[in-house]
Amino acid sequence: MDADGSPRLLVVDDHPIWRDGIAERLAAGFSVVGTAGDGAQALRLARATRPQLVLLDLHLPDLAGAEVTRRLLADDPSLHVLVLSASGERQDVLDAVTAGATGYLTKSASLDEVVAAVRSAAAGEAVFTPGLAGLVLGEYRRLVGTPEPETPRLTKRETEVLRLVAKGLTYREIAERLVLSHRTVQNHVQNTLTKLQLHNKAQLVRYALEQGLD
Amino acid sequence: MWRAVGVFRLVTLAYAAVLILRDHQRYAHPLGGLMTLAVMAAWSALVTVAYARRSTRRPWIVGADVAVATALILATRLVDTAARIDHGAATLPVCWAAASVLACAVAGGPWAGVAGAAVVSAADLLERQALPRNTFNGIVLLFIAGTVGGHVVRLVLRAEAALDRAARREAATAERRRIARDIHDSVLQVLALVSVRGRELGGEAAELGRLAGEQETALRSLIALPPSPAPDGRLDVRTLLEPLAGDRITVSCPAHEVLLPDPAARALAAATGEALDNVRRHAGPDARAWVLLDDEGEVVAVSVRDDGVGFEAGRLVRAAEAGRLGVAQSIVGRIRELGGEASLTSAPGRGTEVELRVPRTASPREEVDHRGR
Repeated sequence: MDADGSPRLLVVDDHPIWRDGIAERLAAGFSVVGTAGDGAQALRLARATRPQLVLLDLHLPDLAGAEVTRRLLADDPSLHVLVLSASGERQDVLDAVTAGATGYLTKSASLDEVVAAVRSAAAGEAVFTPGLAGLVLGEYRRLVGTPEPETPRLTKRETEVLRLVAKGLTYREIAERLVLSHRTVQNHVQNTLTKLQLHNKAQLVRYALEQGLD
Repeated sequence: MWRAVGVFRLVTLAYAAVLILRDHQRYAHPLGGLMTLAVMAAWSALVTVAYARRSTRRPWIVGADVAVATALILATRLVDTAARIDHGAATLPVCWAAASVLACAVAGGPWAGVAGAAVVSAADLLERQALPRNTFNGIVLLFIAGTVGGHVVRLVLRAEAALDRAARREAATAERRRIARDIHDSVLQVLALVSVRGRELGGEAAELGRLAGEQETALRSLIALPPSPAPDGRLDVRTLLEPLAGDRITVSCPAHEVLLPDPAARALAAATGEALDNVRRHAGPDARAWVLLDDEGEVVAVSVRDDGVGFEAGRLVRAAEAGRLGVAQSIVGRIRELGGEASLTSAPGRGTEVELRVPRTASPREEVDHRGR
């Protein structure tokens, strides 16, 4: 954090109007330490300015969003990446999230929503929109059908919680409906994401070993 | 295919040449045998060239091809000795004549192949004036070559046409995707920004923002690809549900495609659309709705939830009993026809939730038949 206690933020977007617009609007509550227009610049700036949170558009001219996420986190594992993208490309979003991003918002989200999401992402909480819950749920469903060994599975409870998030219920409403504490609901959601990210990492390691590049 | 006929013709010509060169001393007219061979070689060269190009590939050439083959078969009587023929010696062209049958099949399909086979077989019988076993076998083989050849050609042509169509569609889709990406990266982003920023500023800017938001949605649906079935006739349900999203409607789908047989996918999407219409009509002006597409493997589930006013549990049942089936019939009915289940839960002030579950192999008509409607 900066001297005044506001989280340090890096905004990455190849669209100049968007990039400057969002940086300007977030400057009120956060310390925007830099803006970048492509992946390489984002990685350089992240090393130089040590932000706590990177607000990342998935559509960049040089690198895929998931790759930028992976490299940012490899440089600084304590960093959080929040995807803010206009992209309807669900696979890109899913890739970025399994690569370690803590959440996803669309660009049509209001400023209040973005601010709230940036706050919770900077605190390390998963930002789970219904859209993202649908993607994560779908990915677990897909993994059930693949022959890969040791794929992560959802518990019954986690499936239930994830479906409710995807149906637009808030954590509070879910807690009420399932007679759980707010914290427990949050943990379930976080777990679903962590398991996918670990699986993704393990797969990368296995791939690297198989290719003999350890 | 024409090339295959050409190759067949060359190989059979070589075989006939070997037989004629070996036996012509024993013919009644050795020179006639060599002349027959010369005619076969010349005709082979001529038609192979003629068949090679589409512009010179005329029906009458195929007819002439059969005629020449027939004439040469009949010429066997004139060239060879009757004793040898009755003893079962092969006709002069041997299986070279079958090339003309194949040409018929390739040019005109199985029926033309059969017609060609019939003419050549007739010539065979006429030449033999008997039906020994090997001639009979030869005739059967000619007919098989005619029909099978014709069928194969049809299949190949159909496959080529399908491939051509697919390639064209692929190119058009790729181009459309490129344009969509460009628009996505430029115009849509600006419209989204204007829309969000305008609403924040309020007043007249809010009105501009609203307009920009509407244009964004309109443009987005314009550049979205129309749902097109996979080659096996199944359809990605996502492509039907995504256009239902709007300002107050969120649609959540998996990242992978969710395929259902075309009619089932459309019926499921139509039921979803109706559920959303009901939200608009009954849930109240501020209600928001969420659509979730969940691919459970054996079952594809769609749930439509809103946070509107909801209703008393018994109301829908009473409406159904009173004969005003409305919602119940069209939504529940559509899904049951697919062999699926539909359920509806609601409570006053707690919104409504519709859950539609359809088996992966759903097909609409069978279920209707089973129930004997």
